[in-house]
Amino acid sequence: MEQENKLSEKDSLNLITDMINKAKQSFHDSGVGPIMWGSVIMVCSLVTYARLAFSFKLPFDIWYLAFIAIIPQIIITIKEKKGKKARTYNDIALDYVWMTFGISIFLLIHTNSGIINGLEKGFGDYSSTSGFRFYDYSTSLFLIIYAFPTFITGGIMKCKPMLFGGIFCWTCSIITVYTPPLTDQLLMAASAFFAWLVPGIILNKQYRNLKRQPNV
Amino acid sequence: MFKDLDPILHSQLRLAVMSLLISVKEAEFVFLKEKTNSSAGNLSVQIQKLKDAGYVEVTKQFKDNYPQTMCRITQPGIKAFEVYVKNLQSYLTQTK
Repeated sequence: MEQENKLSEKDSLNLITDMINKAKQSFHDSGVGPIMWGSVIMVCSLVTYARLAFSFKLPFDIWYLAFIAIIPQIIITIKEKKGKKARTYNDIALDYVWMTFGISIFLLIHTNSGIINGLEKGFGDYSSTSGFRFYDYSTSLFLIIYAFPTFITGGIMKCKPMLFGGIFCWTCSIITVYTPPLTDQLLMAASAFFAWLVPGIILNKQYRNLKRQPNV
Repeated sequence: MFKDLDPILHSQLRLAVMSLLISVKEAEFVFLKEKTNSSAGNLSVQIQKLKDAGYVEVTKQFKDNYPQTMCRITQPGIKAFEVYVKNLQSYLTQTK
């Protein structure tokens, strides 16, 4: 585009369309984050399932793995941001969506531990008379929140596997209300697989293909 | 009557830059150079013209000890781009 050629009106419209398409095609999620979180949550759920099914104890809570995974996530985010030559409005929207998700998960864990501690102390008649076990329902709450950012990201990025993953999480959240904690863990693992791991692998494959193309 | 097309926008490289910037919140000079396949010299001249017209905002900063030029479209730039596209469309409809 070195020469300032005379532009016809049709050329102008074609140029605008071409550039907007070029800009759109430049941005693609590497899928590394979803792959990591899908794997971590799946492993944690399956280990919890095995622990409950085969009655063994671990020297630590396997879910601490999810806390540790925040460190590589921060590194990935910083690295990806540094590598980006342009920032889109979608990037900003998605940053806020996932930030909301992270804060909500922390608050849910905080609320859950408060409720569980309260029930363990046996306050109120609610826990002792009805045999109510809050833990049986906490998976449903987590799955509702997992679906939120997954579904929104799928919609914004036009990523059907993520949209499907979000719906899958919501479906599992309904089922887990009626299933025992053991089955809940399997459904949680399946949700992590379909909502993050599979879409992450697909996104990563598309990202690699895109990287191979010149001028992208 | 056909409305006159904005002469600032009715230029191949400037229009390409504006079309790219309308799609993003902000972009590095390097990004614009890659997408438009233009030379750094020509691109900076055209960006300066857009800046003088008040259509783009240019910020110079440092990233990892290297100078980085960030460009973003301004509100008057968005308005001018919209008017330009509208005029183009009406021109093409009337000449059909």
